[in-house]
Amino acid sequence: MTPLERRYRAVLRLLPAAYRAEREEEMVDTFMEAAGGGLRRPGWGEIASVLALSARVRLGGPGAPPRHLAWGAAVRLVALLGLAYQTAYAAFGLAGLPYLLSYEGDAGLLGTAGSADRLGAIADYGFPCCSAVAFVAVMHGRPRTAKAAAVLGALPALAGATAMAPSLRDLVALVFTAVPVIALLLAFPGDAAPPRRGRWLTVVPLVAGLIGYGLSTAAAAAGGVRLSPWSEPLGMAVVALVAAAPFVAARGRSPGPALALAAAGALLLIVRLPAVIGLPLEQASAGVTAMFLAQCALLVPLVVVFAWRGWRSLPPARP
Amino acid sequence: MNMTEPMFLALTALVDEPRHGYGIVQEADRLSGGRVHLKIGTLYGVLDRLAGAGLIELDHEEAHQGRLRRYYRLTDEGARVLEEEAARMAATARTATARLRARSSARLARGTT
Repeated sequence: MTPLERRYRAVLRLLPAAYRAEREEEMVDTFMEAAGGGLRRPGWGEIASVLALSARVRLGGPGAPPRHLAWGAAVRLVALLGLAYQTAYAAFGLAGLPYLLSYEGDAGLLGTAGSADRLGAIADYGFPCCSAVAFVAVMHGRPRTAKAAAVLGALPALAGATAMAPSLRDLVALVFTAVPVIALLLAFPGDAAPPRRGRWLTVVPLVAGLIGYGLSTAAAAAGGVRLSPWSEPLGMAVVALVAAAPFVAARGRSPGPALALAAAGALLLIVRLPAVIGLPLEQASAGVTAMFLAQCALLVPLVVVFAWRGWRSLPPARP
Repeated sequence: MNMTEPMFLALTALVDEPRHGYGIVQEADRLSGGRVHLKIGTLYGVLDRLAGAGLIELDHEEAHQGRLRRYYRLTDEGARVLEEEAARMAATARTATARLRARSSARLARGTT
């Protein structure tokens, strides 16, 4: 075996064993023929293509074993849930824009034209809109557009976490934003068809964001704090997840949705972490403290139960 | 199904005769005028997808220098899908050409008045 062949077979170990049993010899033959004479090691492009193939196979490519299909469904759902949240967040933010724009008194709310504040405000509204575009694109069977838009939408989180001295909040925001984007990159190959059930579901996060804004405004008008832990987008996401739990549980032996729900709950828990840890330091009122802890108390059992259920109902790996 | 360019090229490569993996890579390279050079990982993702949709199938296997070489062929369904896709692309190209012709003749007309 030449060194090139040995190295290529090592790269192919990225693929699952069952796939390799079927394909390895054929792939090595094709690669060696394509390589011709002068190559010493597989190129980075080739390695990347095997990585992409590995993701495609492990997450339910055509003819995949049921376990891979289940994982693929779970990862795809995590991507969709994350992007749906960003879409609702964008809608929530945009819904408040007319009020901010009409607020003549304090130019500092959106910065004066041309100022850094104004640029920051545009970024605050613009980047979540990129994630919303990604969500619409993936729901309409345009994975490439979705991936580009999703990565763009995640840039602020990336910038915050790679800055000079990232706080826990920055790191946690990166995880929260990046995990669904990574899921999108892994589980939606370029030739992926749009999700079967319902392009109409595309509008649900938009509507949810607008309704959420309405509820938060109503809560503020009724004398509560405008952005209490329950009436901000993250809090509403917790409520939505908890409300969805019985429906997912009723689906019984479906590992994909259960695992996705557990992952979504874990992400929400992670993003609540700085708030909970920082509670003794900030002089938060007892009420706010109770609300944060209540959200965590709802999320922890949800994550544990659904992770366990999902794991247990995964089809067995092929012997 | 979303037909990507590599998928289209692989199907086209199999129209005239069954080919093996590297044969498809070479033919795709030729058909695209050297623009599309398929990596092996990409190729097998495409072949899996096409076989899963019933557009290609295994023709035969042979041993070659101690390794396995598989030849693939286009199915009738594959030929039908390819024809549809090619017709769709041709119609779009015709529309573009017609509009461009109209644009340039409009310009010509303006120039002479």
